[in-house]
Amino acid sequence: MMPPANVEGGSLLPQDPDSPKDLLQNGAKEQVVPAPCDNTMASEGNVKGTNGTQQKAKPAKGSNDGKLSGKELKDKAKAEKAARRAQQKGGQPGQQGQPVVDLGPEMQKHSDLKGPSVTGATSAQKFQHKRTGSASGGFQKPIPFRPAQAHAAPFPEEPKRENKNVALFDHLYGNPRRTTLAGASKDVHPAVLALGLQMRNYVICGSSARCVATMLAFKRVIEAYVTPPQNSLPRHLTTHLSSQIEYLVSCRPLSISMGNAIRWLKVKISEVDVSTEESAAKTDLCNAIDNFITEKITVADQVIEKEGSIRYEMATKFKVIVVDSRPLFEGKNLARALADLGIEVQYSLTHGISHVIKDATKVFLGAHAMMSNGRLYSRVGTALVAMTAREADVPVIVCCESIKYTERVALDSFVHNEVAPPEELLIQGETSSPLLKWLDVPNLQLLNLMYDLTPAEYITMVIDESGYLPPSSVPFMQRLSVNS
Amino acid sequence: MPSPTGVLAPSLTTFTRSVRSKGVSVESSIDNLVSLFKRRQIRDSRPCAVATAQLLRRVVETSKVTDISKLIERVRQIGQRLISAQPRELSIGNIVRRVLGVIREEVEEDREGETSGYSDAGTDSRPQTPKEQDSRTPEPSTLSSRSLTTSPLRHGEMDSILEEVGDERPQRPPLLTSHTSYAVTNTAPTVTSMFSLLSYPRSNIHSPTATPGSQSPSIHLSLSSQALANAGAVKDLKAEVVEGIHEILEELNQADDQIAGYALEHIHSNEVILTHTSSLTVQKFLLKAAAKRKFTVVHAEAYPNHHEATHADVIGRTKSESDDSLSSEVFQKTLTAAGITVVLIPDSAVFALMSRVNKVILDTHVVLVNGDIVAAAGAKALAKAAKLHSTPVVVLSGVYKLSPVYPFDPDALMEDGDPSKVITYEDGDFVDKIEIENPLFDYVPVELVSLYITNLGGHAPSYLHCIINDHYRAEDLDLDISDVYQ
Repeated sequence: MMPPANVEGGSLLPQDPDSPKDLLQNGAKEQVVPAPCDNTMASEGNVKGTNGTQQKAKPAKGSNDGKLSGKELKDKAKAEKAARRAQQKGGQPGQQGQPVVDLGPEMQKHSDLKGPSVTGATSAQKFQHKRTGSASGGFQKPIPFRPAQAHAAPFPEEPKRENKNVALFDHLYGNPRRTTLAGASKDVHPAVLALGLQMRNYVICGSSARCVATMLAFKRVIEAYVTPPQNSLPRHLTTHLSSQIEYLVSCRPLSISMGNAIRWLKVKISEVDVSTEESAAKTDLCNAIDNFITEKITVADQVIEKEGSIRYEMATKFKVIVVDSRPLFEGKNLARALADLGIEVQYSLTHGISHVIKDATKVFLGAHAMMSNGRLYSRVGTALVAMTAREADVPVIVCCESIKYTERVALDSFVHNEVAPPEELLIQGETSSPLLKWLDVPNLQLLNLMYDLTPAEYITMVIDESGYLPPSSVPFMQRLSVNS
Repeated sequence: MPSPTGVLAPSLTTFTRSVRSKGVSVESSIDNLVSLFKRRQIRDSRPCAVATAQLLRRVVETSKVTDISKLIERVRQIGQRLISAQPRELSIGNIVRRVLGVIREEVEEDREGETSGYSDAGTDSRPQTPKEQDSRTPEPSTLSSRSLTTSPLRHGEMDSILEEVGDERPQRPPLLTSHTSYAVTNTAPTVTSMFSLLSYPRSNIHSPTATPGSQSPSIHLSLSSQALANAGAVKDLKAEVVEGIHEILEELNQADDQIAGYALEHIHSNEVILTHTSSLTVQKFLLKAAAKRKFTVVHAEAYPNHHEATHADVIGRTKSESDDSLSSEVFQKTLTAAGITVVLIPDSAVFALMSRVNKVILDTHVVLVNGDIVAAAGAKALAKAAKLHSTPVVVLSGVYKLSPVYPFDPDALMEDGDPSKVITYEDGDFVDKIEIENPLFDYVPVELVSLYITNLGGHAPSYLHCIINDHYRAEDLDLDISDVYQ
């Protein structure tokens, strides 16, 4: 499992054409210099500082503004700016095309590389930075090296249309997923802003990866956090995190593993002694997060890997059949990675499952979560694979870190699930597909379900970091992992 | 029949046109069809069946043979060529067998005319429903009623038919005995006069009420080649055979509508129906029910081989992409336009939704004699999921898709599709390193199917072989080049 925690993609963006003016302003306000700073850490420090001050400043300003509407407007505008700036900073992956995987040191390198190309910007931004730090609002000078643009791309007005929600899943639709950063709470840390978008666009995808990325982002949040006066860290940091989480949820519902990790983190925070010095507490928390990731995911994966692969070390020759599905085609990456390692790979889609199962001697499944009643909650289509394998008397083995165990139980794929935007079902790059008109066709609904539930009967064995267990033992292991 | 609009590539439409034009010789039509089959320019059960029937009609029309046995032999040979051109399209063989059956039947009827003393009741070699055994009401023999005679079983008569199964069986000689019985029964009387043929009322000949009990199979099913050779009324026989083939074509055209006629018997209000891939048969079926009832259709798209057609189905076709259809499917109303809620899902979501589905309705490529079906890839997993959820699986199939072939090697019926549909050329780099599997069909065993609906009505899986036996003559069962299936 690689943790593509893309939390500070800042380095990418100097050339980003979006809303330079706002960028300028925001950049000034929060002093997040998009790319060219040669010392990321320093600039980050700045961010933190200003974040804190901003929080205080804003409410005050709001109260000064007598009119409610005016205040609201301003707040909104501010939020939008903040959002856009963060977008600039965080590097919306869609625009840049490539997910950035960068942790601290890489980050440094990255910005070093980018540095020279944008030197021209530096001075201007530093200037901005100074200015807005003191006075928010007023100053609106366009950055010289970028075309001025008023408020960039207001989100498209939703035309009135028929309800396209599938009735059976109506309870799962909720709010449409956030597509822009507009409206995000100002408290949300840029790293989290970026992460939310990456999750939404499936740049960071997969239960473990999302969990790791979230924890890394929260680490940044904690690093940047300054306890407001008259508040204690254990009390206030939790609420501060809550707003981050709220934003993440608005991008894409949390994964079970993220939920578990967040619960753990909140407990950790609440355990912090009030008398501890803030910086020490923060360091402790960050270390705890690092340990958590290492212990629960990195090492767990290694152990699972070991447990699962003993057989293969002895018998060197084997072949992997990757069964993939629409619309995400996540299996392509796996197939590619395996093929690059020189393993013989066969690739098929869900429709070929009855054929490829004939050649299979074992089926390995990933998990989004294991329910307490032994059922496997995983990417839609998993149940079909498990069923087919079971019918063909092929053992089905689930590889799952214990962080993915949940005390929740489920009987069907309806009550708890995630419905992704149906537009994702449209075939990428196809312009002539008749499906493009689906919104105009009354009574037609597209359902893009994310997960399904595999009955426990189909699962022969679960491998987690503590060993092999039958699916019925999941609740015990779950209790153990919670208590430990 | 076919709309001549903008069909450039060779297809059923172009073939239909060429096979009818007088300028094209029969031989070249045969060659043409063989190559069309080989190149898969005509594919799927119905187009293949239609093309085969059209070709055989032309063959019979133009045949100058005076000897019926030679005609049979010729049709048989052509049939074998067509089958070997595309052995996976079993509907080709089905039609060839049906045509052979028509020829044999006509000959027999001829002889009946001469030897009416032999059997006063049965003129149809096929077993009929016992209900009507004793009430031989002569019917005016119009074309449509004759097309019914080819498939005389109607829904509702199943029970009585099932009782009859045991009785009918011995009437059909086993596969190989037909040849031996030729020699034995050479003494069968022969038709010598075409006058008596004409004088024989057709209403009797084609009455759907002929009785199986009155037949003596040793006589009816065992025309000796000599007897055939002696037949004098070849020319009129020819006209009747052409008529018979025409009826088969009619049946091909009407099958979907006839199947749709049973829709209301199977779909109740507020139902959730799951279907898979694009199929005109299923669409018509559901549309028919939609006229009276409200229900929900969950449509699995059958990516990557049929998703485009499926999308076109749910959205509504704009251009005439359904080239190989001889009906009005281009202008087919969509289910959504009929007020039915359609939920399009990727195939992978089938299992998740199955617990809320009331019925699964599947189209099929072919139905084999034991009830196994060959359907679009993904159907097997779907049917299995349905079975696990105790959801009934209904298979819609025209009689022309019922094949008397026993699947000794199901894998021989499978076919792989274009791998670039799974991995496009954008991923070219890793195409070199991996093996791509893109099956076109799934082999769905009979245990996973709850009910078959043909143009004759609904049938239990166990009853299917009776229908098949009704439609194919035992003599023609071994038509195939048998090594394909063994």
